[in-house]
This record gives sequence, structure tokens and C-alpha cells, in this order.
Amino acid sequence: MRRRMKHIALAALFVSCTTSVMGVDLTKAYEMPDASKLIQKDLLGPPQKYTMPKSCNLNDPAAIARGEFMFHNLNGKKAKKNPPKGLAKFIEVKGKDGKVKKKPKQYGNCVACHNIEGAVGAGNIGPSLMNYKALFIETKVRDPQFVYQKIADPRIDNPETHMTVNLTTGLFNEQEICDYVAYVISDKKKK
Amino acid sequence: MKRLLLPLAVTVTVAFAGEQFAMSDADRAMYKEMQENNPAEIYVEEGGEILEEQLGGDEALAKFLGVSEKDLPKEIATFPKYVPKLGNVVGLDQVIQAMQVEQGKERTKLKSGKMFSMLAYVKSLANGEIPNIDLNEPHEKVSYDLGKKTFMTKRGGRGLSCNSCHSKDVVGMVLRTQPLPDLGKVGSGSTWPAYRMTKSSLRTLQRRYQGCMKNALLKVIPIGSKEMIGLEVYVTKLAEDHKQPIAIPGLKR
Ligand code: HEC
Ligand code: HEC
Repeated sequence: MRRRMKHIALAALFVSCTTSVMGVDLTKAYEMPDASKLIQKDLLGPPQKYTMPKSCNLNDPAAIARGEFMFHNLNGKKAKKNPPKGLAKFIEVKGKDGKVKKKPKQYGNCVACHNIEGAVGAGNIGPSLMNYKALFIETKVRDPQFVYQKIADPRIDNPETHMTVNLTTGLFNEQEICDYVAYVISDKKKK
Repeated sequence: MKRLLLPLAVTVTVAFAGEQFAMSDADRAMYKEMQENNPAEIYVEEGGEILEEQLGGDEALAKFLGVSEKDLPKEIATFPKYVPKLGNVVGLDQVIQAMQVEQGKERTKLKSGKMFSMLAYVKSLANGEIPNIDLNEPHEKVSYDLGKKTFMTKRGGRGLSCNSCHSKDVVGMVLRTQPLPDLGKVGSGSTWPAYRMTKSSLRTLQRRYQGCMKNALLKVIPIGSKEMIGLEVYVTKLAEDHKQPIAIPGLKR
């Protein structure tokens, strides 16, 4: 009886030794956090058609000024100048903990890809929008509705586009898309 | 003949200027100096010391991976790869974590500077090797496909994907003074961890991805996730296709 006990004890010892030295389960030994849920929530919705709202006042100097500011800046934290009336540098968002936090307001930073009058450090991924009114609007090659759709969701016109999606993502609202259109098609020579 | 040569010379200088467009003359001088004396060497050295003191150095690493020390460089060039005893396609940083756990040591966080140093050291052991991703290995193929899908997926506040700025047809174009790099040609998969001049610190490839995600308003996903490893497999394969030898630490703007 005592001998049997000893055997069992030895066997148990052996088992525990092998699992701790040789059989460590290493499949959970390293970090491998989940990202799929984060990505799922962050996905871009399907292309959407939009009609430019009647409330769009394309000749409103205040709208043009806001459009200009958003066109040339990345966000409220980076913007050096003060934004025109009707635009903020920061927005307040409620965090998961219920606390309200200040976050920099995002702008279009369109100048990252497009050249335009007065641009500093413009990129060239998108076409130049210089002299847009004379070249495209007055010649009727484009109309404000086209420009509105392009900025709101460029995939309708070009499914392969490299341009940012600005309304379908919810980053901007209809008024802000109007502001961009107003600026892009405004007469900039008079300034 | 002369008339043919002239435009050629012009294109070359323009291409060169374009390459370092975003740098001032002072920055460029500093870049040159740092190329000879990369500030990140010290991190690589430090990573080697930690590995040696804590885990038994190259010898222990080779043993853990089941190869001889002589074959270690070739083995490292195959990462990220499927490691059966870890049950996943993993990066070298995750291998280091598994070694720590096996030896009963404290696990260093993937996103810590200490891990970046160790990772840089381990990858530098393969300097001169061409990356060697095995897409015939089924797990690695799955990881590659997930990486490619992640690369192409449009998301975030601006509806952009990695491909929006790194596809063939936009390479070399300028995004707000920064020329868009061809990730294969510049050997991203071979040249990170690297010293990032604009951040004055050692950064890893996955940390670099996070930078692009943050800038372009894509939700930043965590280092070590399957998607991040997939992206690393995908981008490392691009470096392999361009025969870009591993050169750690890299030096980046
Ligand atoms: C990441 C690059 C990128 C950004 C940022 C960007 N665009 Fe574009 N844009 C493009 C590209 C590329 C095109 C070319 C056509 C296409 O693919 O849709 C384009 C086309 C356009 C056009 C149509 C021009 C025409 O008549 O054909 C307008 C208008 C325009 N963009 C305005 C904007 C505005 C306003 C913003 C900022 C809110 C912006 N873009 C941000 C890349 C960009
Ligand atoms: C809005 C544009 C944009 C998007 C979207 C973007 N990138 Fe980038 N990326 C850039 C630019 C510009 C650079 C070069 C920056 C510099 O010179 O410092 C860069 C650099 C990089 C580099 C470093 C290249 C090197 O020198 O080795 C890597 C790697 C990279 N991107 C990967 C990604 C991945 C992965 C994604 C998607 C998660 C992504 N990028 C999304 C614009 C972008």
C-alpha cells in the first residue's frame, strides 16, 4: 500500500515536472490583441448619391471663408490662424466614461492633394483646382451639383478614386460640404 | 547626342530633389551625417545586451527557433512566420515574449521601447539577407491575404485605405510636400526598426503603420494583432520582391 502511494506520488511529480519544463503552453504566451472589431466598426459604407441642398448659398462670403479655411487646414490643433465665423477649432465629444472631452475639429486638408489659389505646400495627387470657375463652371464642363457630389462622395463619379470621402463618413455635414463647393467655385481673382 | 543627354540629366536631378522634397538643406545635411552614424545603433546594442543578460542571447534564440546559430540570420529573414509551438504567424517581438514566458521572466510589452530595442537587435542579426516569406506555408498565405485585405480596406474619418496613398499609380506624387514612397522599392519591410528623425526615436514597422493610420484618421489598431502581422507579411513580401536586403537600423525622415 505504501509502495503504491509512493509510486503515485512519483508519477504525479513526474507529470508536473514535464508540464512545467517541457510542456509549457506557449500559444498564449505572447500578446495578440484583437483588431477585427475595431476595423469592423471603422469601415466605410457603400457609395452614396447626394443632391446639393437648396439651403446651399454658394455666394455667401461667410460660406466661402469657411470653405477656404477647411480647404487649407488639417485640423484645429494644427491650424495657425483663427477660423472664420461659424467654424470652431475644437469640438466637444462625450467619451465612453461619460466625460466630455475637447477634440481638435477636423478640416478637409484638401491642399494636401490639390493646388489652388494661395496654396502653400500643395500636393498633386488630385488635379489642380486653380481658376476652377473660369475653366470648369463658366465653360459648363462642371456644375455645382457635380462638385458637391465629388466632395461628398467621389466614388459615384470614380469608383477607383484616391480622394477622401467627406459626407458618407460623417466627418462633415451638408453645410460644410456646401462651404467647400462655395469656395472651390468662387471667383478668387477679385480678392 | 548632347541634346538627348540633357533632358536625361534634368530628370535625374528632379527625381532626386523630389525624393527629399520634404527636407530642408539643414535636414539633408543631418540625414547624411546620421547615415554614417545612425543614432539608433545604441538601441540595437542595448537590445542585444538585454537579450543576452535576460534570455541567453543568440544561442538561446536559435535554440528556441530550432535552428543552429549559423542559420539564425536566414531564419530571421523568414519572419513574420508560422511558429508551430506558438500556434500562429508571429513577429520576432512575439517570439521574444514567448521566450520570456518559457524562462519564467517578466514579459516585455510589445509597444514598449525596450521591446523595440530587442526587436531591432534580433532583426539586425539578419542584416544583408533578403526577406524570405514563404507563401506556400498555408498559415502564412492566410496571414498575407489578411494583410493585403487590411491594406486595401477603406475606413476611418476620411474613407481612406493604405492603398489610397501607397498604390502603384500614386507613388512619387506629392501629398502636402511629402512624396509618396513605393513601400517595396524603399524596402520598408527590410529597413524597420529605424531611427525616425522627425520623432527622434527608434520606431518599428508596426509603429510606423500606426503613424499613417493616425494621420489619415483610420482607427489605430494594436501592435501584434493578426491584421498588423498580416500587414507586416504583406509589406515584407514587397521588399522581398524588390530584393531589398535587411539593413537595421534604418534611417527615416
Ligand atoms: C488624398 C487625396 C485627395 C484629397 C485629400 C482631396 N482630394 Fe479632391 N481629388 C483627388 C483626386 C485623385 C481627384 C481626381 C478625380 C477622382 O479620382 O475623383 C480629385 C478630384 C476633386 C474634384 C473634381 C475636380 C474636377 O472637376 O474633376 C474636386 C472639386 C475636389 N477633388 C475637391 C476636393 C476638396 C474640396 C477636398 C477636401 C475636402 C479634396 N478634394 C480632398 C484627391 C484628393
Ligand atoms: C493619406 C495618405 C496615407 C495613407 C492613408 C497611408 N500612408 Fe503610409 N505614408 C504616407 C506618406 C506621405 C509617407 C511618407 C512620410 C514621410 O516621408 O515621412 C508614408 C510612409 C509609410 C511607410 C514608411 C515607408 C518607409 O520609409 O519605409 C510605411 C511602412 C507606410 N507608410 C505604411 C502605411 C500603411 C500600412 C498604411 C495603412 C494603414 C498607410 N501607410 C496609409 C501616406 C499615407
